[in-house]
Amino acid sequence: MASQNMDPAATAASSTAALKGSENGSSAARGSVSKRLQQELMTLMMSGDKGISAFPESDNLFKWIGTIDGAQGTVYEGLRYRLSLEFPAGYPYQAPRVKFVTPCFHPNVDEQGFICLDILKDKWSALYDVRSILLSVQSLLGEPNNESPLNTAAAELWDNQEAFKSHLHSTFQK
Amino acid sequence: MEEMVIETHPTDVSGSATQPGVADAWETVSAALVSAECVVSEQSLSDSLALLCSQGLSQLLGSWLLETLQMRLSSSVVPEFWAGLNQPENELEEKGRAWVLLTAFRTLLHRLEPFLGGLDRLGLWQNEGRGDLCGPGPKGLQDRAFTIIRALLLFSPSPVLQERVLEFYSRTFSVYMNQEGEAEDGAEVPDGPEGGVCPGCGVLTQQCWCQEALEQLQELSHILSKLQLLEWVSSEAVTSILHKLIEQRMEQHCRGEYERSFLLEFQKWLEMVLGWLSKVFASEVHTDSLAPAPSAPSPSGVQAGQSASSVLKQWRCHMHQFFCRIYVNMRIEELFSIIRDFPESKAAIEDLKFCLERTNQRQQLLTSLKSAFESRLLHPGVHTSDILTVYISAIKALRELDPSMVILQVACQPIRKYLRTREDTVRQIVAGLTGDAEGCTDLASELSRGDPVTLEMQDSDEEGNDPEDWTPDPTDAVPDKMGSKHRSSDIISLLVSIYGSKDIFIDEYRAVLADRLLHQLNYNTAREIRNVELLKLRFGESHMHYCEVMLKDMADSRRINSNIREEESRLSEEEQPPLSLSAIILSSEFWPPLKEEKLELPPLVCQAMEAYTHRYEKLKAMRTLSWKLHLGSVTLDVELEDRTLTNLTVSPIHAAIILHFQEKSSWTLEELSMKLGAPKELVHRKLALWQQHGVLREEAGGRYYVVETGSSKEKMERGAMLIDSDEERDSNTTTQSEQREEKLQLFWAYIQAMLTNLDSMTLERIHSMLRMFVATGPVVTEMDVNELEAFLQRKVREHQLLVSAGVYRLPKSN
Repeated sequence: MASQNMDPAATAASSTAALKGSENGSSAARGSVSKRLQQELMTLMMSGDKGISAFPESDNLFKWIGTIDGAQGTVYEGLRYRLSLEFPAGYPYQAPRVKFVTPCFHPNVDEQGFICLDILKDKWSALYDVRSILLSVQSLLGEPNNESPLNTAAAELWDNQEAFKSHLHSTFQK
Repeated sequence: MEEMVIETHPTDVSGSATQPGVADAWETVSAALVSAECVVSEQSLSDSLALLCSQGLSQLLGSWLLETLQMRLSSSVVPEFWAGLNQPENELEEKGRAWVLLTAFRTLLHRLEPFLGGLDRLGLWQNEGRGDLCGPGPKGLQDRAFTIIRALLLFSPSPVLQERVLEFYSRTFSVYMNQEGEAEDGAEVPDGPEGGVCPGCGVLTQQCWCQEALEQLQELSHILSKLQLLEWVSSEAVTSILHKLIEQRMEQHCRGEYERSFLLEFQKWLEMVLGWLSKVFASEVHTDSLAPAPSAPSPSGVQAGQSASSVLKQWRCHMHQFFCRIYVNMRIEELFSIIRDFPESKAAIEDLKFCLERTNQRQQLLTSLKSAFESRLLHPGVHTSDILTVYISAIKALRELDPSMVILQVACQPIRKYLRTREDTVRQIVAGLTGDAEGCTDLASELSRGDPVTLEMQDSDEEGNDPEDWTPDPTDAVPDKMGSKHRSSDIISLLVSIYGSKDIFIDEYRAVLADRLLHQLNYNTAREIRNVELLKLRFGESHMHYCEVMLKDMADSRRINSNIREEESRLSEEEQPPLSLSAIILSSEFWPPLKEEKLELPPLVCQAMEAYTHRYEKLKAMRTLSWKLHLGSVTLDVELEDRTLTNLTVSPIHAAIILHFQEKSSWTLEELSMKLGAPKELVHRKLALWQQHGVLREEAGGRYYVVETGSSKEKMERGAMLIDSDEERDSNTTTQSEQREEKLQLFWAYIQAMLTNLDSMTLERIHSMLRMFVATGPVVTEMDVNELEAFLQRKVREHQLLVSAGVYRLPKSN
């Protein structure tokens, strides 16, 4: 309700405030992007999804920190992963750059934390938002795509869930 | 100096004793100086004088005379004077005491007169340069003599003198005022039954000594002025009399009386008092004209007259100043009541303004008024609307008192601060603005008075375009960034600015407006349109945009409704809808959040709504309706076996309840609650209405039955007494506190997300993050640091948050 009744003028004012410090170049374009990001933040806050969360890292609305809890019933249960999300100026027409900050032992995540996920690459659409990205990454943890692994060791170990889990938990570090 | 001369004196005399002529001459001259009447002939006096001069002794005459005077004073005159004043046997009556006082001074004058005369003569000789006498002249000699007299006489005055003088003056004052007053108005006479006590002298009329007292006053003034003691003896007494009397008169006449101006009245009275003063002080003029002053008449006479009038002038200033001060003191004390009574007390405010400009008591006024506000107004026992009423009066009164608005701004600061803490302030102000409040109609009339031109003037920067008109702020102004031109006196702007932003008021107004519109159901918006237009003048078009849309919704609804009705009327008989439905169509974006209540209506109604929706969709392509089932009202008839209740207007849930009884005559609470999709308590409360109407009755086991027949009157009445109806008009919009809760909820979501991702943060960081990233709107307004801190502390207490060393973090497990 609140989001729908939002005063456009007020939003514009506060989003320009949010842009202070990172303001350079095409301000109009960035203005509309930050408006969208602010809106996404609001949606995320209002959704109240458990296990996923994200927030701008500092006063720069284009760089967020995300947090994902491993879903229940998966080997990742009880583990918490930090991600970084960087939004390009062309967002939402260009996909954000998302990677794990916490080292993640996973078939589709490489050692630098890069994620192989279709919606972050060729399947990206402007209809996705931060919330859907985080949910996708969360479900990717439990359901890896072993066809195109970035971490072959993890892909090979995946079939043996017990071994995978013990390896995962023994190597997990914040 | 004098001392030295005096000491050489005897040696000189002894030295010249060889010449017997010199001693005789000294004798002659000194006798001529000291004795009142001239016993020696002019010729022998001149000869003696010449002889003395030739011996060089003439210079000693003045010193000798003063010395003699001093000796005489201290040895006999002064003790005699004080003894004369203390005559216990004559002190029984006031009249006697006055006589004693006068006699004492008479004797004093009598004793001193020879010396004064001698001094005068010597001075004259000196002036004439007779026998080459030279010296300060009569004026100088007399000045010295008077100094000596004052010094010796008043060196250690006994309090009895002051007492006596005070008493005597008071008496003559009242005598004088009585006489003068009688000429002017009879009301002056205080108390005193006719033929009993003389109002002037306060004794039985037969023994009235009024005239005598005035004559005595004249004489006393005369003596005192002759001895130049007037100022020394009288001033203190006169001052204290005046102060006392002005105070007294003010207490009697002005206290509690705010609707009349007292300035002129007091001016007149003070002039009368001045008449008496002139009797006390101005007798010097008389002295010179009446007394057979030997010579040197005009210059000193004029001088004395001038000094008398300048003395009077001084006294007039003094009295005036004193009057102002007392008046201001009294009014400051009463200012709260004066403000409360404004505008009836306008006269008092104007008087106060006049006097305040002449005294330096603004600071006192501010302090006193502030504390009066705090002790009499700003406590929980006072209703918010009363506080507002007083605040409005204060604005009106104080802008009258101080056009620079500084007093207003400073004194009312506590009120504004306090109002901010009251939850219903905004609602009260808005109710006042729309004319809904019981007590205060000021605001509504203020609003309708709203003259757009002057309002624009207030906002524009060009205000005060004439630099010549600029006046500096009073020194007690609070330095603020706004500057004096923004120190508004406009009541509505002041009230609205209590919270620092118009938005809160506009939102509250929106809620009130929504309530009114939703309760009306007849699309009649004339009054609301007027209010919105007036508010637009105040707050600007853009702020009232939402309200305008709401009003437009009403107009649109009326049109759409009649369209749909028309369409329905063209349908054939059997296609006619079973119940007539009219809708108010709200543009949800623009209306304040409406309360959500779950309710399922009977199929009959739902069908009608669907049909309506269908028609609406045809009318307005791409749009549909989402019904707010719990809002609205239903008019229905209840037909029972032996009676019919017609034209009952009830809420939808009431109607839904009774409609269910159409298909089945008995329901349990559970069944109904399930059917309606509403909580049991709510249904239970709503059932009360029908029980009250005698349509339903509750039986054991929580079953409700329709009372088809035999509803006796008394039974209905009993029902009405027993069951408290639940028909208070609930507000349909969410209340301020609900909105606040919603806002806090949203903030909490942000804070949690922040701390989840960024681990730990300080209060300042959280605050700035919230400011940056929470989009504010009508519901979500900014939170200040203190509010945030309090909120975070609450969360800490609820163990939802940890804090250490000023850094907040979420608890580990979640």
